[in-house]
Amino acid sequence: MSTATEPRRRTAVAASSRRGALTGTGTLLRFMLRRDRVRFPAWTLGLAAFMGYFVTALQQVYATPEDIRAIAPLMRGPMGALFGGPGYGMDDPRLEHLLAGLYGVYILLGAGLMSLLTVVRHTRTEEHSGRAELIRSNVVGRHAQLTAALVLTTGMNLVVVGLIGAVMTGQGFDTAGSWLFAVGVGAVGLSFAGVAATTAQLSEYPRAAAGAAGAALGGAFALRALGDMTSEHGNALSWLSPIGWAQQTAPYVLDRWWPLAISVAFAILTAALGYTLSTRRDLAAGLVPPRPGPSRAAPWLRSPLALAWRLQRAQLVGWSLALAVGGGAYGAFTGPALDVFDDAPEELLVVMGGTENITSGFLGVLALTFGVTVAVYAVLAAQTARAEEASGRAEPVLATAVSRQRWLGTHLGVVALGSLWLLLVSGLATGIGAGLSVGNGSLVGEMVLATVVFAPAVWVVLAVAALLYGVAPRAMPVVWAVVGYGLVVGFFGPLLDLPDAALWLSPFEHVGDYPSDAVSGVGLMVLTLLAVAMAAAGLRAFRRRDVLGTG
Amino acid sequence: MSAPVRDTDVPAIDIHDLRKSYGAVTALDGLDLQVGQGEVHGFLGPNGAGKSTTIRILLGLLRSDGGRARLLGADPWRDAVDLHRRLAYVPGDVELWPNLTGGEAIDLLSRLRGGADHARRDELCQRFDLDPTKKGRTYSKGNRQKVALIAALASDADLLLLDEPTAGLDPLMEAVFQSCIRESKEAGRTVLLSSHILAQVEVLADRISIIRQGRVVETGSLAQLRHLTRTSVTIQTERPTAALADLPGVHALRVEGEQVTFDVDGPHVAAVVKALGELDVRAMTAHPPTLEQLLLRHYGDELSPRNAEVA
Repeated sequence: MSTATEPRRRTAVAASSRRGALTGTGTLLRFMLRRDRVRFPAWTLGLAAFMGYFVTALQQVYATPEDIRAIAPLMRGPMGALFGGPGYGMDDPRLEHLLAGLYGVYILLGAGLMSLLTVVRHTRTEEHSGRAELIRSNVVGRHAQLTAALVLTTGMNLVVVGLIGAVMTGQGFDTAGSWLFAVGVGAVGLSFAGVAATTAQLSEYPRAAAGAAGAALGGAFALRALGDMTSEHGNALSWLSPIGWAQQTAPYVLDRWWPLAISVAFAILTAALGYTLSTRRDLAAGLVPPRPGPSRAAPWLRSPLALAWRLQRAQLVGWSLALAVGGGAYGAFTGPALDVFDDAPEELLVVMGGTENITSGFLGVLALTFGVTVAVYAVLAAQTARAEEASGRAEPVLATAVSRQRWLGTHLGVVALGSLWLLLVSGLATGIGAGLSVGNGSLVGEMVLATVVFAPAVWVVLAVAALLYGVAPRAMPVVWAVVGYGLVVGFFGPLLDLPDAALWLSPFEHVGDYPSDAVSGVGLMVLTLLAVAMAAAGLRAFRRRDVLGTG
Repeated sequence: MSAPVRDTDVPAIDIHDLRKSYGAVTALDGLDLQVGQGEVHGFLGPNGAGKSTTIRILLGLLRSDGGRARLLGADPWRDAVDLHRRLAYVPGDVELWPNLTGGEAIDLLSRLRGGADHARRDELCQRFDLDPTKKGRTYSKGNRQKVALIAALASDADLLLLDEPTAGLDPLMEAVFQSCIRESKEAGRTVLLSSHILAQVEVLADRISIIRQGRVVETGSLAQLRHLTRTSVTIQTERPTAALADLPGVHALRVEGEQVTFDVDGPHVAAVVKALGELDVRAMTAHPPTLEQLLLRHYGDELSPRNAEVA
């Protein structure tokens, strides 16, 4: 290299590095699309299908305008505000008002979740795994990865907007309102793409990034719920929430577009903040430094049981909080619900167990809801064992003086007791909410019993998971079929007029129908014995098979 | 359940005709291995030869398809828990719990085995230069390996099963590891040390077994295996060196200007060194053959065995 060309070359490099912060964005975007070739259509089509499901389901349940009018007071009240929206058009609602104003919020949440997970997946997760280092050492600009992730997420949201708009206009709903609602969904998506672009910079860990953005999504839902509950059509609190902005467009009622301008500004600002923060940190580092932990284990951490508890503790605490809040909120629904059910459509009352004693029927449905929910927990928690084995963390533990039965048995024991605890928490919270709402303290005890009796049914689900794990760990997800079956039979069995044999197959159908009917002592006993037998068989099978290697 | 025998006559590891396959892939094809008590035994083989499979059968994590394996006189599958009280294991690829610190993981593993010496644990942390306050997910591969090594070395186990224990360690830490293994040997422990690098086990092992495609093909002390070793020598001299090629045991002599390179069979090294004395050698390097060269020379091995994925 001659000295004469050196300065010129240096200037050239300097100039191109100023231009080149985005170099490679296009290539990265194509690469991300290739990686997300299943995930992209799954999310976008899934959200559209979800919307389509709402449309068909509501057309079934509310077949006539009278049916809708009957339910309107419920939707206008605090419960509608809590779980739906600001209540635009609820004075004389039509189907599209229910869809956009109440059920639509779940589509908004879905779009937010899709966007934040996509952004974190393609930014912080890549950095944490070390793959981003490989990419960035190539001809790729500093901001290319974040930009490509945001472009990808914007693309997903545009597809969602198109599909949902098509679903709604396809039903013959008003065109302007339909497209306004659809664009509102996309606007929420973009807002949380921006939020995730910021949270992805804060911590080293993808989980923390997604968790912080998810907390913001939950906070946005809670803010607008508070605002919508305390004032008609919401107040300042609703207007602080990205979800609120989309809902305040009031599709099919006011049809105003301008609140979405706030969403767009918010998305741009949060994304810009993400870019700014990203220049203040090193690759793979967070802005929040990791804290050191204890150099010695706590004295109690000395048995497989303690280890199983330590690994499941965080999950159990999270579920307890969620079920306590959810239970309280649903319980508080009891009072307003009773006022409304007098005029409710026949189909709804069938689900609730007929018109005889509507309080008991309603509480029974809530108890079943929590029974199935806790079964979901049990399956997820049981999969901890499989994750421990597949990751190779079980191997050094099983190479100590811990037998396989003890290792798996303690995991299952923690999940079994955790399930019982969660049922107790949800029953207590629902009972307190219901008791306050109706002014009847005895509902607390009734509700606790109603949920706790589902424990043997949950244990059966857990035992099926354990058996599958012991015999064929790869087939473990099959247990979801049991949960799904219980859900369908429990909620739609009465509507669908299913034969007894079909009901009989679901473990959730054998605990009795408390508080409408007595608890089935025999049922509980048989379920418990069945669970113990299947879990024992699972432990035996696990003792006899090879421990999976990581290689 | 028969209690493990604590008898010095019983070999620590006694494997005869051990077989294991994963579906159509044969991992162990009639493996024989004997390790005496108090011995440091090098278990050498290329990746995928079946080293980890053997160790995982000895731990009772895998069930053999045939043959016989005895560990300290007991059945590794049936008596797993009792045996595990007397052994410590370091996997080749250590995974830690992301939320537990390295110190917590060390304590937990030690306690599950039945307790460990606190002072020794702290001393080992210092010698291996490990910060035990960091969370498991923040450790590099080498540091994760140190966590498992410290947990194993701080125990008072009779037998150490170490599967490629130094793969992620730098040379400085490898030296610490070697002195720790020597101390373990002095304390009377038996060590099975697997590796795919000959030089790593050579310095520590009393005896070596070489495994290839699921079978042990050579076993013995280093002296007994001398016939396998062929030293590669490079010298610089201005004198003519043609006579070297005629010496017995010298192979593949190449002359490039003043630089001469050749290989010498183990038993003939002394004679060659004498001859070199006459040549006014200005510079000289000599290094032992790698395992790959060894296997290539003696078995004409394709060095990507048919089942490389079974590590």
